[in-house]
Amino acid sequence: MANLDKQLDAALDLMRRLPPQKAEKNLSDCIDLVPELCEDLLASVDQPLRILKDSQTGKDYLLCDYNRDGDSYRSPWSNTYDPPLSDGAIPSDQLRDLEINANAAIDSYREMYYEGGISSVYLWDLDHGFAGAILIKKVGDLSTKIKGCWDSIHVIEVQEKSGGRNAHYKLTSTIMLWLQTSKAASGTMNLGGNLTRQVEKDSPLNESNSHIANIGRLIEEMENKMRNTLNEIYFGKTKDIVNDLRSMIPLSDVSKQQQIAEELRAKLGNNQ
Amino acid sequence: MSDTEDQINDEEKAAIVHGFINHAPPGEVDDVIRDSRILLNDDNTFKDGIVEALSKYQQSQFMPVNVDDENAVLLTAHGLQDNGRFIDPATGKSFRFDFSKKSCVDIEDGSVDNGDAESWRSEIDAAISEYVKEYYPAGVSTVYGSQDGSDILITACIEDHKYSPENFWNGKWRSEWKITISGNSATVAGVLKTQVHYYEDGNVQLVSQKECKDEVSSVSSEKQLAEAVRKLVEKFEHEYQAGVFDNYNNMSTTTFKALRRQLPVTRTKIDWNKILGYQIGKEIGGK
Repeated sequence: MANLDKQLDAALDLMRRLPPQKAEKNLSDCIDLVPELCEDLLASVDQPLRILKDSQTGKDYLLCDYNRDGDSYRSPWSNTYDPPLSDGAIPSDQLRDLEINANAAIDSYREMYYEGGISSVYLWDLDHGFAGAILIKKVGDLSTKIKGCWDSIHVIEVQEKSGGRNAHYKLTSTIMLWLQTSKAASGTMNLGGNLTRQVEKDSPLNESNSHIANIGRLIEEMENKMRNTLNEIYFGKTKDIVNDLRSMIPLSDVSKQQQIAEELRAKLGNNQ
Repeated sequence: MSDTEDQINDEEKAAIVHGFINHAPPGEVDDVIRDSRILLNDDNTFKDGIVEALSKYQQSQFMPVNVDDENAVLLTAHGLQDNGRFIDPATGKSFRFDFSKKSCVDIEDGSVDNGDAESWRSEIDAAISEYVKEYYPAGVSTVYGSQDGSDILITACIEDHKYSPENFWNGKWRSEWKITISGNSATVAGVLKTQVHYYEDGNVQLVSQKECKDEVSSVSSEKQLAEAVRKLVEKFEHEYQAGVFDNYNNMSTTTFKALRRQLPVTRTKIDWNKILGYQIGKEIGGK
């Protein structure tokens, strides 16, 4: 009989292999097979971010496991649950102040890099610090032929040290990127998936290095790095693999070229 | 998501497992089967229908198998007979495929009769084989021929794959070309499919497909048609591959940037102290 840990490993392995374009269905299928894994899977498998509108402020916010309580989701704008909960989990007053400022800062960050889209930040208390989820979603409906979507899910753990003069930050970031094109020459191309990276850093805490500044810098650096990696993998690596499957020029020409190159190398080597 | 009290039944569970298998990326069906078996945790339900599901999957994947020491053939729906045996139209052999041993078994010679289609089939087979050698590093092709009323139907299947699980990637190309010979003209219709999976610290997949069609207006002989088909296949497949590469460049420079810029318009990274100052200023100035 398989135990629950082994089953969780199997589900996570499966989620790395099944087409990411169908992430939500894959996850719900796994849960249907092993309902006992529901909470664990929801917590460990990233899903494309869903959106709700805060009826009080009219602003959109993003949904994840960290602002969920039962079937309700908390808005970072009004700090209330939808559907309403009388006793839903909310951050302490002090943390809520930080959460409000964090949302404002990330809102500006989002506008500078994404020129649109939606962001949300959710914080919760820990024993010696706090943790947070920073979410960003940008949908591109550039034309009928090109569609795309970017989802950032950052989870940060903050441990305060040295009487509040230092802090240790641990950031786990997942970016989900999906592009679909429908053009005459290339038919339909559907390029989708996600990447996850982690980083840890110690930073001082003072006037010019507030939590928000430290976390913001970490996230900005991480997203910029991951954007480059995504560019390399999506548009470089997968393209190279297609090139390995079929050659654009006849293979006999390729081997002729290789032969000429080797002869040249040998000649140059002899002349040295 | 609320706790679900209505559990699904064994049949629905088996359907989910077969669905997983159906969507396994090239080269990874064994991993998907292993994971599914652990999740299902019920070997009786697991065994029920698993071989059929796997066979169907490998047929759609054009799995190449060795029918003898010198000849490879593709497993496809076109080659599956009613009795569950597969045919190799080129060598004339038929066989069963043992998915656990991963080999052809019960091989019988001289069991394929392509009838009047054979003269057309063998010329196109020769031309396609030569074409595949020219452009596919490890490609395999199988060409079937049959009669459809007064028409002759030739189906050419091409497959190439590269599996590199130690580097966390796998890829496969499939083309399926249907040539319908009607009187002295022929239509050539193709479906081209590429799939790539990259999974180091993530899960990235390319799934792409293109359909193409053209006519050979005047067919004078089997050899002439085979040459014309080869030219069309080469032209369309080249166009598709070139289109894919162009599109990759376009996506990288234009589409990707429209989702998230490399840097803000200011061309510098954000001054996080200014961002906070701006927000505080907003609050002092009133909402």
